[in-house]
Order: sequence, then C-alpha cells, then structure tokens
Amino acid sequence: MSNHLVIAPIVLPLLVAALQLLVGEKRRRTVLALSVASCVALVLLAAALMLAVSADGVLGAVYRIGDWPARFGIVLVADRLSALMVLLTSVLALALLPYALGRWQHRGGHFQPLLQFLLMGLNGAFLTGDLFNLFVFFEVLLAASYGLALHGSGARRVSAGLHYIAVNLTASMLFLLGVSLIFGVTGTLNMAALAELIPTVPERTRALLHAGAALLGVAFLIKTAMWPLGFWLPRTYAAASPVVAAMFALMTKVGIYVLLRLGLLLFGDAAGPASAHFGSGWMLWGGVATVVAGIVGMLGARDLAKLAGYNVLISSGTLLGAIGLQLPAVTAGALAYLVISTLAIAAFFLVVGLLASDGDDETDDSLSLEPYEQPGETAANEGLYAQEDESRVVISAPIAMLSGSFFACALLLAGLPPLSGFLAKFAMLAPMLEAGPRAGATVLFTLIIVAGFCTVIAMCRAGIQIFWVEPERLFLKVRLSETTSILLLLGLCLLLTVLVEGPLRYLRDTARQIHTPAVYIQQVLPAAEVQP
Amino acid sequence: MELVLAAAIGILAASGVWLLLRPRTFQVIIGLTLISYAVNLFIFSIGGLRTGADPVLHAAAGDIAQYADPLPQALVLTAIVIGFATTALFLVVLLTSRGLTGNDHVDGEDGTP
Amino acid sequence: MPDNVLPSTIIGLPFAAGVLVFLWRAHGRRLAVWLMIGTALLGLLLSLWLYPAITGGGVLRQVIPWAPGLGLDLVLRVDGFAWLFMLLICGIGLLVGIYARYYMPADDPLARFFALLLAFMGSMLGIVMSGNVIQLVFFWEMTSLFSFLLIGYWHHGASARDGARMALVVTSGGGLCLFAGVLLLGHIAGSYELDAILAAGDAVRAHALYTPTLLLILLGAFTKSAQFPFHFWLPQAMSAPTPVSAYLHSATMVKAGVFLLVRFWPVLAGTDEWFWIVGGVGLVTLILGAYAAMFEQDLKGVLAYSTISHLGLITMLVGLGSTLGVVAAIFHIVNHATFKASLFMAAGAVDHEAGTRDLRRLGGLRRFMPITATLALVAAAAMAGVPLLNGFLSKEMFFAETLAARQGPLLDVVSVVIAVAASAFGVTYSIRFVRGVFFGRVPASLPREPHEPPLWMRFPIGLLALACLLVGMLPAQVIGPSLRAAASAVLGADHLPEYSLAVWHGVTTPLLMSIFAFVAGCLLFAGLRHRFAGLEAAPLIGRFSGKRIFERVLAVLAADIPRRIERIYPSRRLQPQLLLIVLLALLAGGLAAASAPFGVRPRWSSVDPAFALLWLLGAACAIGAATQAKFHRLAALVLTGGAGLVSCVSFVWLSAPDLAATQLLVEVVTTILILLGLRWLPKRIEGLAAESRVHRFRRRRDVLIAMVVGIGVASLAYAAMMHPVADSISRFFLERAYAEGGGRNVVNVILVDFRGFDTLGEISVLAIVALTVFALLRRFRPAAESINVPQQQQRQTALDADQPDRAVDHSLTDYLMIPGLIIQLMFPVILLFGLHLFLRGHDLPGGGFVAGITVAVALILLYMARGARWVETHLRVLPVRWIGLGLLLAAGTGLASLVFGRPFLTSYFHYAELPLLGRLPLASAVLFDLGVFCVVVGATTLMLIALAHQSLRRPRQPADAPAATGGPG
Repeated sequence: MSNHLVIAPIVLPLLVAALQLLVGEKRRRTVLALSVASCVALVLLAAALMLAVSADGVLGAVYRIGDWPARFGIVLVADRLSALMVLLTSVLALALLPYALGRWQHRGGHFQPLLQFLLMGLNGAFLTGDLFNLFVFFEVLLAASYGLALHGSGARRVSAGLHYIAVNLTASMLFLLGVSLIFGVTGTLNMAALAELIPTVPERTRALLHAGAALLGVAFLIKTAMWPLGFWLPRTYAAASPVVAAMFALMTKVGIYVLLRLGLLLFGDAAGPASAHFGSGWMLWGGVATVVAGIVGMLGARDLAKLAGYNVLISSGTLLGAIGLQLPAVTAGALAYLVISTLAIAAFFLVVGLLASDGDDETDDSLSLEPYEQPGETAANEGLYAQEDESRVVISAPIAMLSGSFFACALLLAGLPPLSGFLAKFAMLAPMLEAGPRAGATVLFTLIIVAGFCTVIAMCRAGIQIFWVEPERLFLKVRLSETTSILLLLGLCLLLTVLVEGPLRYLRDTARQIHTPAVYIQQVLPAAEVQP
Repeated sequence: MELVLAAAIGILAASGVWLLLRPRTFQVIIGLTLISYAVNLFIFSIGGLRTGADPVLHAAAGDIAQYADPLPQALVLTAIVIGFATTALFLVVLLTSRGLTGNDHVDGEDGTP
Repeated sequence: MPDNVLPSTIIGLPFAAGVLVFLWRAHGRRLAVWLMIGTALLGLLLSLWLYPAITGGGVLRQVIPWAPGLGLDLVLRVDGFAWLFMLLICGIGLLVGIYARYYMPADDPLARFFALLLAFMGSMLGIVMSGNVIQLVFFWEMTSLFSFLLIGYWHHGASARDGARMALVVTSGGGLCLFAGVLLLGHIAGSYELDAILAAGDAVRAHALYTPTLLLILLGAFTKSAQFPFHFWLPQAMSAPTPVSAYLHSATMVKAGVFLLVRFWPVLAGTDEWFWIVGGVGLVTLILGAYAAMFEQDLKGVLAYSTISHLGLITMLVGLGSTLGVVAAIFHIVNHATFKASLFMAAGAVDHEAGTRDLRRLGGLRRFMPITATLALVAAAAMAGVPLLNGFLSKEMFFAETLAARQGPLLDVVSVVIAVAASAFGVTYSIRFVRGVFFGRVPASLPREPHEPPLWMRFPIGLLALACLLVGMLPAQVIGPSLRAAASAVLGADHLPEYSLAVWHGVTTPLLMSIFAFVAGCLLFAGLRHRFAGLEAAPLIGRFSGKRIFERVLAVLAADIPRRIERIYPSRRLQPQLLLIVLLALLAGGLAAASAPFGVRPRWSSVDPAFALLWLLGAACAIGAATQAKFHRLAALVLTGGAGLVSCVSFVWLSAPDLAATQLLVEVVTTILILLGLRWLPKRIEGLAAESRVHRFRRRRDVLIAMVVGIGVASLAYAAMMHPVADSISRFFLERAYAEGGGRNVVNVILVDFRGFDTLGEISVLAIVALTVFALLRRFRPAAESINVPQQQQRQTALDADQPDRAVDHSLTDYLMIPGLIIQLMFPVILLFGLHLFLRGHDLPGGGFVAGITVAVALILLYMARGARWVETHLRVLPVRWIGLGLLLAAGTGLASLVFGRPFLTSYFHYAELPLLGRLPLASAVLFDLGVFCVVVGATTLMLIALAHQSLRRPRQPADAPAATGGPG
C-alpha cells in the first residue's frame, strides 16, 4: 500500500522550511503564515494518521520509500505508538506557535525554519523503520535543536550549548558504532528484519550484537538524560529561550520512544534466551537513579528554570523505570504519563519564561529561589497565632493568570488531582502492584510517590515565594499570544482529565501492540514479499 | 590487513578520546575529528576489507564476491557529511564562546589549565 | 427530583457555583454571597429530603462512567454515615456562609473567598459520597489544596504563608500515603469499589500486605485529623480567616481523617496493629491536646488544641475496636462539630468587635455583648461536657467505652485515668475560655470599643448552640434515627450494638467519672487561673514546638542537603560529563561483549607491510595531534590532516574511491574553516601555567581510559571484520543498481536512490547547521585582544605609511597578487570540473556532494585570493537561497513520484544520447542529486563566508559585522 499520510509529516515541514528560506527572513508575515499553515496541517495529518492506524483490524501503515522492498530500502512504519508521538509533536508545536510570535522569535536568525526542521526530525525519528535512517533523523532533530538552543546567543546559552553539542556529538559517535556493529552482525538495517534475525544470530557473533546494542543504548540513554549521563539537561533547558525549552520537553521523550520501540522489538521475549530483555535492567535501575537525582536537584534548584529542568529529569527517569519493567499494562500507563508530563513541562517552561525578570537574554533570565522562607516571626511571639491581617488582597489579572497556570502545572507535575497528572500516575502505579513482588517494581512505586511529595514541597515553596511573598518582583507584561499557548496546553490536560477513557483505551491497545512485535514484523515483511 | 586497520582505528579512537577529555575547546574539536575518522573507518571495515576490488559495475548485475561492499561505503559517506557539518558547528560555537567568555576553556570559566 | 441523579446534583452544585462566582467576580460581594448561601441551603434541603430514605436504611448509588478501564468510575454512594456528614457539610457551610458575609472586611469583593469555599464544600462532599476509593483520594487531595489556598487567603502575612505551606505539605503528603494505601487495598480486594472492599474485610486482614496498607492509610487519616505527631499544623492553620477555621479546621475537613477511620473500620479494624496504633495515637493526642489547650493565650489557639484533643478522643474510640465505640465516635463527630463551630464563630465575633484574641487583654465583654456571651457559654459548656448538652452524652459513652475496654488491668487503668484527666483539662480550658473573655473586669485598653455583633453574625452561633441544647436534652428524638442510620451503615444493621441515648442512666461509673472530672477541672482552674496569664507556652511540652521542628526538618532535608548535593552535580563542567559518558559506554560495551563467547584469534598472516607502514605514519600523526593540540594548534591541525590523509589513502587502497574523494574534500574544507577560526583563539604559551599534581593525575587517568577505549574499539572492529555476516543486503544493491537504479556506481545509486531518504536527511542537517552558524556569527563578538589586525599586516601597513609612493593598505591589496590571478583564472575551470564530477557521479566516483564541495572550494579560493569585498562586488552569492532551492528540488523530485502513484522518492530513468556529452543517464535521481549539489554549495559557502567575514572587522568597531555579513541573507 502507499498511504502517503505516513510520509507527509516528514516532507511537509521540510518543504515549508525550504520555502521559508527562499522567502527570506525579511518577509516575516509570509514566513509566519507558512509556519502556522504547516503546524495546523501537521495536526490534521497526524490526527488522520492516528485514525487510520487505529481503525479496527488495521495494525498500522507501512510506507516503502522509493518502492524498494522493505528488507532493502528504507521503510516508514506508522503504528499506534508512532502515530501517537507524531500527534503529540504536532499538537505541541501548534500550541507553542502563538507564544513564539512574541518577543522570542526575533532574537536570532531563522527561528521558524529551524522549528520546522525540528518537527521534520522528530516525526522522522518516530516514523522510520530503519536503524540508520533513525540515526539520520536523530541528527536532523539534534542539529535543529542545537540551532534552537543557541537561538538568541548570549553567554549563558552559548556555554550551555557548547556542552550540549559536545555531549550529543559523543552520543552520535556511539550511535554509529552501535549501528554498524549490529549491521555487521545481522547484515540488515531494517528494524523488522533485525527482529527477525536476532534469534538466529550465531553464538560467535552474539557478543558483538550485544556490544552494538549496548553502545546504541548508551547513546539513547544520553538523550533521555539518564543518571549519570543527564547532567547537561537542566542547564541547557534553563538557558534555552522558553518556547524552545518547551519544545525540548519532547526531546527526552524521543529517547524513551526509541528505547521502548527497539527494546521490545529487538529484545523482546522472541529474541531467544540469550538476548531476551537485554538491557531492561539498565533502564529500570537507571530510571530509579535518575528520579532520585532529579528529586535532589529539584529540591536544591537555585532558580525556577533549573527547577523545571529537574522536573524533566524526574519525568524521564519515571518513564525509563516504567518501560524497564516491560509489562504491557505499566507501559500503557507510562504512555499516558509521557503525554501528560510532556504537555505539563512545556506549559511550565512557558510560565517560567513569563515570570522571568524580563525578556532580555543577556541577563540571567529566571527567578532565583530562596532555599526556604524564614518562618514568620509573628507566629513565635507571645503565644499568638496569626493575627488576621484583614486588609484586602487585590490580585491583578496577569498575576491571577500566571499564578493559576503555575498552580495547574504544579498539580500536573506532582500528580495531584483534579488534573490529569493524577490519573496518569494512577494508570501507571496500579498495574505495578499487579506485577507481583519484584524489587524493581516496589522501589519504583515508592519512588514515584515520594517524587510526587517532593514536587509538592518544591513547587509550593517556589510558588509561595514568587506569588505570595514578593509578587511585585514579577515582570508583568503578559501578552495574549503567550497566554493562549499556556492555556491551550493546560486546557488539553484538563480535557484529558474528563475524557480519559478513550485515550486510555488507545494507549492500552498501543501497549499491547508494541508488546507483540510479531505483528510489527509480519506487517513490515509480509510473507508475500519474495526474497530476491 | 584487518589487524593493522583495527589497530589504526584503536589508536585514532584513543587519541581522540584523550583529547575529548581535555579542558580546551580546540583540543576537544580535534579530538572529535579524530574520533570521527576512527568511526568512519570502523563502519567501513564492517563489510569486510577488499583490496583491488572494483568500485563500479561492469556487468549489468554485480556479484558480491568481486566488488567492494557498497552499503557500508554509502553509510560512511553519510556519516562523513554529517560529521563535517557538526564539526563546523562546534567550531563556530567554540569561537562564539571564546568571544563571549573571553577564554577557550570548555566551561567558559578559566579554572584549570 | 429522582433519587438517582440527586447525589450528582448535590456534589455538582458547589463546584458549578464556585466557577460562577469566580467568573463573575466583577459583580462582587452580593452575587458571591447569595450563591454561597443558596448552594449550601439547597444542598442541605436536598440532603434532608433524603431523610426518610436514609433512616429507612437505604443506600443511594449513582455511577457516572469515567475511566472504567482503570476500574475508576465516579461512584456516588450515599449511606447513613455519608448522609450525616452531608448534613454537617451543607448545614455548617450555610451558617459559615452567612457568618462570613458579615465577618469578612467590607472592601473585600469576596469572590475568590467564596469560590474557594464552595469548591472546598464540593470536594468535602466528594470525599464522603465516594463509592470508589481512588475517587475518595481524588477529593481528599482537593480538600488539602483548597484548605491551603484558604489558609493563605491573606497571604501577605508571613504566618499565613507558613501555616498554609505547613498544612499543605503535611496533609497532601498524608494524602499521597493514603493514595498508595488504597492502591494496595484495591490490589488486595481486587477492586477499587468501596462496596467490594468493605466486603473483603477478612481477606484484607489476612493478607501479607495488611500492615503496610494499614500504616499508609493511617498516615493519611492521622495527618488530616491532626493526630499526634502530625497535630502541629492545625494551630498554625489558625491564621486562616475565622470562618475558614470554623468550617474546615473544626467541623469538616479535619473530620475527614476520622471519617476514613470509621469508613474502613469494618475492613481494617479488629487486629492488634489497629488497636495499638489507632488507640494509642488517639490516647496521646487526646491528653496532649487537652493539656496544651489550657495554656493557650489565643482564643483560636485554645479552640485549635481542644479540637486536636477531641479528634484524639474520636480516634481513640474508633481504635478501641468495639462496635459501641464506633457509635460513640460518630455521635461525638456530630456533637463536636456543632459546639466547636459555634465557639469558633464566637471567638471570631469577639476578635471582630474587640480587636484582639489575646486572652490576657480580654475580659468582661458580657457587658457589651450579652447575647454572644450567653451563646458562647452554652457552647463552651457543651465542650466541657456539662449535662443536658450534647457534649455530655458522647463523653459518657466515651467513659463507658474506656471502662469496657478489656486489654489487661494496667492498660485499663491508664486509659481510664487519661480519659478523666483529659476531660478535666477540657473543663478547665472551657472555663478559662468563657471567663477570660466574658467575665472579670474590663481591661483598660481594648483595641476597639466592643459592642454586640450584627444579628446575622450571632444567628449562626445561636443556631448551633440551640442544636447543642436540643441534642443534649432530647437526643433520642433529635439525633436518634440519624445516628442509628449512620451506625448501621458502617457496622451493618444486624451488628448494631445496644445503646441508649437517654440523658439519665442512673448513677453509673461514667457519671461519677464525669462529676469527678468536672470538679477536678474547676479546682484546676481555680488553682492555676493566676498562673495562666504569665505563661508563654505550656509547661513541659511547650519547648517542643512541632512547628519549629517541622520547619527545621524541612529546611535541612528539603533544602540544605539537596542544595549541597546539587552543587556538586557536574552540570556546569563538561569534562566530568564526558568522562562519565565514556566510562559508562566502556562499562556497557564491555559487559555486553562479555555476555556471550567472544572468540577471535589475531591472525598475523596477510599483514601488508606497506599498509602497516602507512598506518605507522597515521598513528604517529594522530598521537602527535593529541599531544600538540594544546600549545601548537597549527601543528595539531596539520597532523590531524595527516591522519585524515592516511585514512583517505587506505580508502583508495581498500577500493573505495568515493569515500577517499569525499573525505579529502571535506578535510580541505574543515581545515580551511579551522584555519579561519584559529585567529580568534587566545595565544597559549607552553609552561606558563604551573602543573599541579591534580592535573598530572587527571592526565594520567585519561591516558589510561583512552588506551582502554582504544583497545576496546580495536578489538570490536577486529572481531567484526573477522566475522563478516553470511548474507548481507548489499548483494541486493549490487544486483539491482544498474538494472533498476540506472547507475554503475553502486555507492552513488544507493545514496541517491536506494537510500536517498538518508541523503535527504543528511542535506537537511547540512542546511540547518549552515543556518545556525550564520545566525551565531551574526552576533559574534570577538574577544577584545583578538580584534587587532595580525602583526604581519600591521607591520606592512606601517611600511606603507613610511614609503611615500605607496598608499596605506597598498601591500594588503596586492598581497598574493599572482596566485590570486591564477586562482581567478582557474575558477571557471574548477567549476567545470565540479560539473563533470556531478554528471559522472551516477556511473563513476563523484556525485552531487563531491561536486558541491568542489564548487564551494573554488569559491572560497576566490575569496582568499581576491578578498571578500572584491568577490561580493563581482558576483552575488546568496547561499541561503541555494540551500532553499536545493532542498525544494530534492524534496520536489521525491514528491514527483507521487504524481505517478508511486511512493515518495521512487526513481525513474532512461538513457539519452546527447551531443558531445555522450550517453547520459537521465534518472530522476540526477535531479535529486542536483538538489544535493545546490544544498552543499549553499551550506558550505555560507559557513565559509560567514567565518571569513569575521576577518573583515575593523579594529575597535566590531559592530559593523552584521552589516558585513548581511550579504548572504
């Protein structure tokens, strides 16, 4: 079949970017119009794709680029998981666009084309079914992310960017080594074919296969910022301009996606006794360590943007651990958590951006945080509790909006009701108990609860200091466009609280699908396709 | 043949990694370049080595036995190009960082030499 | 209204009203107030409307599907127990609403206040009506959140903030424990439905996870109900506006904990753990609260500690494990809510009218506010447990229970003694409360001239006092049926114990205990009344301020220690990060490689000496570069180039000319770039920086690591080379390249056809990087010392200045004149060569990329020879356009195949005879390759030019850089 829906999410942004380059920076309106059009179209396309692949009986869509047989050419595979990720990407991008209209985009050259390239890279990474092509798309999205991370220049950004790039170049080298080893052992790059071949790999080269997989894994774990590979993340995200940081909320999830996909496809139960569940232990315990590191960092963070960055660590650690368990039900919950935490963190970065002293890049953007508020003095004196100070409290509209959004983000990140963060955690935690007594499951379960508690402490402290102690410190020129983005993201989370069943059903099917790789293989390499 | 090439890859990688861990941006970029040489050779060597084999087809359809394995080459080509791009970017970033921070330490602040 | 939608209406109303109030806050007080009162009233009426059904033992259930897949539906379940709470929540909510309308300052629009209050009311109703434990937690945490916002309502006061934070941290933390607990409970019972869980009591108590489950749930309950050792947040919460204290922190929210204990009584109670933990905690809290309450100076402080004590009483009753205890607990929940709420409102009225809550500054107010005084007196008497008031009845039951409990002689004595002591203390602080405020002589200086509060502020107090009286005198008639319904809802109608709600049971031990306690209390007050005023805090326990301990612990565990650890995170330092990555990669790779047999013997045969020699050179170059890179950058650059050259040669050697060509050209360009960049790096002279031991150690360590890495990579490579896979997909490409790809150069066919998609991505990378580089360099600010023109140039300029016949910069302009001319002449030739490379690409080594780089090199040579200014005046270079065009071309070619109904990038070709160029493949792939070519040309030149332009900066005015680079836009 040639369902061009599958290729569209990759080619469209590329074309748009190219056009924007031809139009030239000077003509901002045209460039912007192109971006908006592209993002809207992407959301529609992604939705269509999702509907197409989740229709009854349909398992997914395989797209053979250049019409070469899947085994040899490059295929794109859209199943429920990749469709989900593509939709998430496009929705996030669309939601962020209004914000980008504000002060941020003119801080440097070619913001919009770079954003489009990033989308191209992300969608490509989610859709491709070929290992080396995955590398290429990783490079595309990384290159774009370098550009965006450095967008606006300034000392902080550049030195953070330098680290970011150095780390990721190292990761790319590992990626290449891994891919080439795996290719050397199996003689193919197609993921489905790999999954088919791995059980049959002769004993004498299995070590090479594992080494390759391990190096590949390290490369991905660097992207997911697993402890101790993730120290670059909080600083880079804190330094990036808000809208970019918000978009980056998705970047760690790419690593998660690949680990989930390849881990289950290549090293599932079918991989044979020697290779089954290869590296799942690493993910689980690495995830646990990452959550701990994230919690400590969050409690110790000295400014708001860092706090947000450490929240990213917590969320990707949680996800790593959850997918490390390799249980379908947990995976489903983890996917729900993935979606919610991505949206929430993105929104949070936007809020932080608005709270920043002012939009100026050269100065340190984000609010510094006191370790803790000195306890109120009135409380201690002569055994009296608060004398009620009854002068009225006036709250201006911007502060109301900002504090409200901050509160909502806090609830989402801590997984407190009434927002969907709670449901996501519930969906992830409940099945962990069904897993029976497994040390990993128990530890992770406890840790997720603890992380929620610590998030409450940290966010409560920060929120009180910002909005209650010294609201006059705030920079309050909130524009409608910026508000729109935040409200869009949070509204989406709220919507997902109410209409939770449908999405959850989809995620359960998704989990079931990726936990039965035979389906995927069967689909990419139908028996009909003759071996030349 | 293989042994020599393997050793070569090893040495390139080693010197690259050593430079990668140095504190000066220039050292790091040279290190990355060396590592990418090593990686390119690594990928290339994966298909097995052939001397005197023909790179381009004579017959309409070639037989794997008498030609150099083309796929690793293609992969290496892509890798080279991407490596080139990223190296260039890294160079410019380190120059900018040098300009903004006034020194060429990887952390921008000049502590250890 | 049909009963099956009634629950959702009752619970939905407050939330809807809250949203309305918030949305229409412009309309201010009036609307807010009426919505508050109206909602509460309606809720109350609807609940009362259920009276017959509930007292008849009926249970209302309404299920609203939410997430059935998770076993989580909105199950609203109203039984007698829940119903009793609904009455409390709506009833007291109504009174508080009326009260607050007059209590809150007149200029406060109150929209936020009532919106929060309404939302809280809804959440509280949600807790008690939950038929699903997860849903219960859902509303549980919401009450914590709204209580946080309400305590912090006047958040410019520091203590309001502290109190709010403390309440939130404690209660929401407990809530998370409860969450874990009910997850375990649901796991054990196999369902989150309350009915299913209540039915599974035996299974739960027998289960291995019973103890953790119990502990987690108890943590939730104790934190919420301010039980020892979590009691300290409640007094701090007194900084909330008094209506909030009356509603949340005495009548409803703090009762959620004991509600939970009673609710889960059938499931969890009956074990030793339950008895010891719940009973013990209740006992301690009971006495501790009562004791502390005596010594408080703040009216609300007295009430807060007394609340803690009464909650302890209830907890203890539940903990005793007897059914009668449960009945008593439920009864006391109601009683306490009525008298404590009215007392809080009275305290608020006093504060409002007299301007202070300090018992030492108050007195004799009954002269000014007789009615309030009377009402407060009644309520306080109820609190003290004076006969004919409701407090008395439940206290009698409590005494009876402590006597009935049979847990060994010693314990019985202890519990009885403590019970009596606590109620004696209760009498003492009740007296102190009343006497200190309303009796005695009027202090000279009151902040305000007190007078009776407005009628509608007294009304709620009066109503509640009346309730105390009615229940106290006619318990069986007033509360009997409801209590029976509630108790049987918890215990099951057939397990209901025998109890009588009579006022007079004759002279019984409990009665004697009460009398004793009452007398003791009076004596205690008489004895201590003069000491009270002097005391800062309660003796003995006063020094252990839970608040301060909490603040301290939080500050250390959640701030100081993390900060210290976070400081040592290497997030600001690149070297440790890279080191960690390398080490982890080594570890992972090593372990994985060791995971299976790894048998490769080095084979010394077939080592070509020449090749070995070549690589001896290469190795030397690499190592040389490594050592030189710090102090002799140029040397290092050259050596690196040497290493690259060697690998080029070996590519040729190993029959990969395409690779060789590409590598060579890329190297050229890279070198040029770095050369252009070198100028901006700071000078580094050897031996300036003293070499410390640390650095020597680091260097040695890194050498070691590097060697290990080298060996590892080498052995992997060798092993991979020794075991070429039996059947690789390459075969396919060799077979199809010509027949279906239309090219003899298989590598190129793969690049532009078989795997053209990779190439598309690759050129995108190139484009992105070029754009980024350009954007960065646009804002490039060179370091001060490297702005000056190079020395040689300075010298020449000086020379020009000296010689009269030469203009300044003359030698700069004719610098490299002859080579320049040659290059200028060569330019078209190189371009032609590039074209040739491009065209032959499909059949012979070459192709779009190589051609592109060649052209770019030609261009940059021209730049070098003639200078940027000259070039840009003579030909317009618009690299960004080239890039855009190239991408468009490449992607367009791919899309073209869609028109023919084939997938993206499907190639089409046929051979055509062209004059003088000969037979050429006109493959669509060639068009694609053309796109590649354009992008490469554009990107490479963009980078080179952007960097080259930096050298055009004039000293001391780097600002004109953007103007200079503005060209390629």
